[in-house]
Amino acid sequence: MPTSPSEYVGNIRDTVKSFWHGMSITLSQVLRRPITVQYPDRTSVPVQDLLPARYRGFLEVDAAICTGCQACERACPISCIQILLEKDAANPKQRVVSQFDIDEAKCMFCGLCVEPCPTGAIQHTREFEATQRSIRNLVFRWADPLHPFPVYKVQKDAPYFPRAPLGSLVREILSRRSWDANGPAYLPPEPLKPPPPPAPKPAAAAKPPAPAGAKPAAAATPAPKPAAAAAPPSADKPADPPPSPGSGEPKP
Amino acid sequence: MPSKFSFAFPRPNTRRILFFSSLAAVFVIPVALFGLLVVYLPFIQKDVFFTFVRETLHRDPDSWAGTQWLYGAALLVAGLLLFTFASVSGGIFSWYERRVAGRIQSRIGPNRVGAGGFFQWVADAVKLLFKEDLVPAEADSLLFRAAPYFVVAGMTLTLVALPFGQSVIVADLNVGIFYILAVTSLIVVGILLSGWSSNSKWALFGGMRSAAQVISYEVPSGLAIMTPVLMAGTLSMQGIIRAQGGWPWQWFISRNPAAFVAFFILFISQLAEANRTPFDLPEAESELVAGYMSEYSGFRFALYFLVEWANLWIISAIAVSLFLGGWQVPGLEDQDWAALRGAGSFPPVAWWFWQLLSVGVFAAKTMVLVTVVIWIRWTLPRIRVDQMMNLCWKYLVPAGFGAMLFTLLWQIAVSKARIVQDISGGVLFVLFVYAVFRFFVLTRKNISRVVGDRVDLTNW
Amino acid sequence: MSKLVLRRIDRNNEEMLVNFGPQHPSTHGVLNFLVETDGEVMRRAIPDIGYLHRSLEKIGEIVGYPGYMPYTDRIDYLAAMFANEGYAIAVEKLIKVEVPKRAQYLRAISCELNRIASHLVSIGTMATDIGAVTPLVYALREREAINDLIEALCGARLTYNYHRIGGVAFDMPEGWRDKVLHFLERFESLIQEWDRLITWNEIYLKRLGGVAVITREQAIDYGLVGPNLRGSGVDWDVRRDVPYGAYPDFKFDVPVGRGWAGTVGDAFDRYYVRVLEMAQSCRIARQALEKLPDGETMAKVPRRIKPEAGEVMSRVESARGELAYYVVSDGTERAYRVRARTGSFLAMGIIEDISSGLMIADLIALIASLDVVAPETDR
Repeated sequence: MPTSPSEYVGNIRDTVKSFWHGMSITLSQVLRRPITVQYPDRTSVPVQDLLPARYRGFLEVDAAICTGCQACERACPISCIQILLEKDAANPKQRVVSQFDIDEAKCMFCGLCVEPCPTGAIQHTREFEATQRSIRNLVFRWADPLHPFPVYKVQKDAPYFPRAPLGSLVREILSRRSWDANGPAYLPPEPLKPPPPPAPKPAAAAKPPAPAGAKPAAAATPAPKPAAAAAPPSADKPADPPPSPGSGEPKP
Repeated sequence: MPSKFSFAFPRPNTRRILFFSSLAAVFVIPVALFGLLVVYLPFIQKDVFFTFVRETLHRDPDSWAGTQWLYGAALLVAGLLLFTFASVSGGIFSWYERRVAGRIQSRIGPNRVGAGGFFQWVADAVKLLFKEDLVPAEADSLLFRAAPYFVVAGMTLTLVALPFGQSVIVADLNVGIFYILAVTSLIVVGILLSGWSSNSKWALFGGMRSAAQVISYEVPSGLAIMTPVLMAGTLSMQGIIRAQGGWPWQWFISRNPAAFVAFFILFISQLAEANRTPFDLPEAESELVAGYMSEYSGFRFALYFLVEWANLWIISAIAVSLFLGGWQVPGLEDQDWAALRGAGSFPPVAWWFWQLLSVGVFAAKTMVLVTVVIWIRWTLPRIRVDQMMNLCWKYLVPAGFGAMLFTLLWQIAVSKARIVQDISGGVLFVLFVYAVFRFFVLTRKNISRVVGDRVDLTNW
Repeated sequence: MSKLVLRRIDRNNEEMLVNFGPQHPSTHGVLNFLVETDGEVMRRAIPDIGYLHRSLEKIGEIVGYPGYMPYTDRIDYLAAMFANEGYAIAVEKLIKVEVPKRAQYLRAISCELNRIASHLVSIGTMATDIGAVTPLVYALREREAINDLIEALCGARLTYNYHRIGGVAFDMPEGWRDKVLHFLERFESLIQEWDRLITWNEIYLKRLGGVAVITREQAIDYGLVGPNLRGSGVDWDVRRDVPYGAYPDFKFDVPVGRGWAGTVGDAFDRYYVRVLEMAQSCRIARQALEKLPDGETMAKVPRRIKPEAGEVMSRVESARGELAYYVVSDGTERAYRVRARTGSFLAMGIIEDISSGLMIADLIALIASLDVVAPETDR
């Protein structure tokens, strides 16, 4: 509260002066160019090209140069990468990758998987527009269980590793299915089998059969043999309960 | 690769149709509204109306019983016209405010719905109409439903006495400005009702704050209004405007140094009455979310916002009429208007053109003030309740009294020597022009002081 | 807690218990305050936290040392570089690795840029809470420029994951240095404009001057850190007093509250200390860019980090104060305990005691001036 006439007048003077400056600054902003970029339809170039090269967008794996070392799977703190290596049926000396799934919904785009890759097969692209109606369609499958790809043999003094253009593979996957495609359909639960004899076999490795069986490859190929795909990995397992969590069906 | 969102935007040829039609609407709608007002309102002035009854209906207006009924019907139509004008202009001001605010904030405002985003307000209004009509279970439902209508009534009733042009006014009451001041107080009744009946603590806060604010600021408002009333000698709005002239040095604001002060007192007080920043405590967004409007949704919510934007126009119109010369066209005096009117019972065609010009002058001045109000809103922070009271009672009321006393003495001086007000007019006008010039120089310097910025009017 | 408060309130019918949040435009993040108030003047405001608890400290015991780095971003996502740096320093002390000079300089540059960005959010939201919306947009516009710079450096705009145990992830890209220098030059002129627009605005001074005064003794007793502490007149800055990284090589001032709006330790002091700190950050970043030495960006760190059993504490001066990490290792690849002591958590503690006698509008000014953010408070 003002206690003297000079303070009273001083209040008025300070007010007028500060408002004068403030209002002139806002008026000057009217005369400057707004910084709005009218994404997505009124940009001069596609927005992906405006992003810097190191932008950490969706992950992309060039299977042609993947060595199957699983370093990215180990580095990921969230375990959103799942790789399954097998021996090729035709040529036991050759190892093939039959599953390379990256759950982009879980991914936090930290880049820890990109660093340990010896050939640069897995990279962050500049793609970020990959909205899907069903969250399960955000799992990017870079290996086809029916046509596993062979691992890449690194030459000792290769000057570089030939990689597809960054972003092209992601864009190809995204263009193949529409954004509002339904999620993968679940199989009906398998008919209940009689309880197994009490053999002390741990139901280990429930992880690999579970995703491969529960989420058939809905996107890439219309191969409708999910049961067959689930069969080989879990062929010699006792009849486990069907691999959908929370099925909770009582055994007869 | 086609954009994923292409379904959301219209295809090119329909877009063009929409663009041009909305561009046309930007200009046609305000002009049409004003035109209707200009054409219709002079008809219901007493002399023209009586002439119409006498010559077209062949009755003696003074003795015919139907005069009253016809006049009542004509007024009803005028009321409807005015309410439409207020609503539509409220919507247009919301668009204008959003565009200006966007530009102030280094961004574009709405620009997709119609040319320049002009139909955004239509879209918003239609959307609000379709929303659920929610009355909270614990709320006092009669008062809750009635409160917005008090507010709307308070706003609409003032339009009756606002002088849009030389003869473009619904009713030139001889207590014009007093009536306006009285009727705007209905708004506070509505706000209090809405705060109380919402039965919500936050709404109650907003209602209480608003009541304190509006009631307090009626006092300096009234005191500031005394100055032009004393200078003009009448409470009638048209009378006050007629006492001014068209040129800026003939306006009341320049003719009397105390009127200069009184203008700012009135301006600040009216900002407080209209709940605009820096006095928007009742609806302080960051504190009370929406204050007294928190529990409202749908059309009732739209009514509050309509009133807020239409109030922009009203408070600017009042300030313009009282201090800035109203509809006075530079160069035309009273006798020129009388000469244009002619001696006949019906005004000549050229007269309508001059009416339109006077309405245009009024609208231009009011738009400048509306822009200033919007500009202030987006620059200044909000003041606290006790500081607001402090400002009102310790700064504005004493200054208002001082201005009134000075005006009393000034009027005595003027009656002795008329030259005094012309000197004051000239001096204050020159000072004002100088201040505006310095302001624009400072604005230009602001831009050059920042590295890498320049005047750039692109990116609309 | 709330049941206790309610019982006391019901006996006294004159007061209202109002819930301020957790969804509210002015609480910075999801914070809740139980406010006992009689009209405008409050009796007390009790903070109620936990709405953004994400068990980040528990996660530190599950993912390994290198894998925890992205999680440190989320401890305070507005000032993520500092959280990264603090954790990296702690683990580097555990595995006894020395960070190369160039990496330390790059850390300092990225941290100072992040400090500017965080302070911009802080002062912008403070202006919005006080009522002026446009300064927020100006602050965010400048922050966009910083975001673009850091995006070019490390690929992300908010949760950077730029520092690594042993150094930094990437070196500067080409042309980045000039972009940063250009930005710094522009930004220093913009701080002047900001001051003229809002800092010395009479209404702003009146809203913040003398409001929510925290005295020196109170600040030290309650353990406030960072600009909150310095705003109350205590001259303490971890960068200068317990130097780490490349900070011994830089010359900079530490702004301390001086009662610019009347009282030392009021909300305006805390606010203005942040504005001045932004200018000092520009100075540091410029010195770092000029003196940037050549060398490696990453030290030689084993692929699997398995430190010996032990415990370590590291402190960095984050934008919100001193961010301290306490990491306990039990000899395996996973930490035994990771604890992050954040400045916002401490600041929440003082709100209840300072808030008696304040008006609701002043409570907002208090919360905004303490710069509490929900992620730091709840982790």
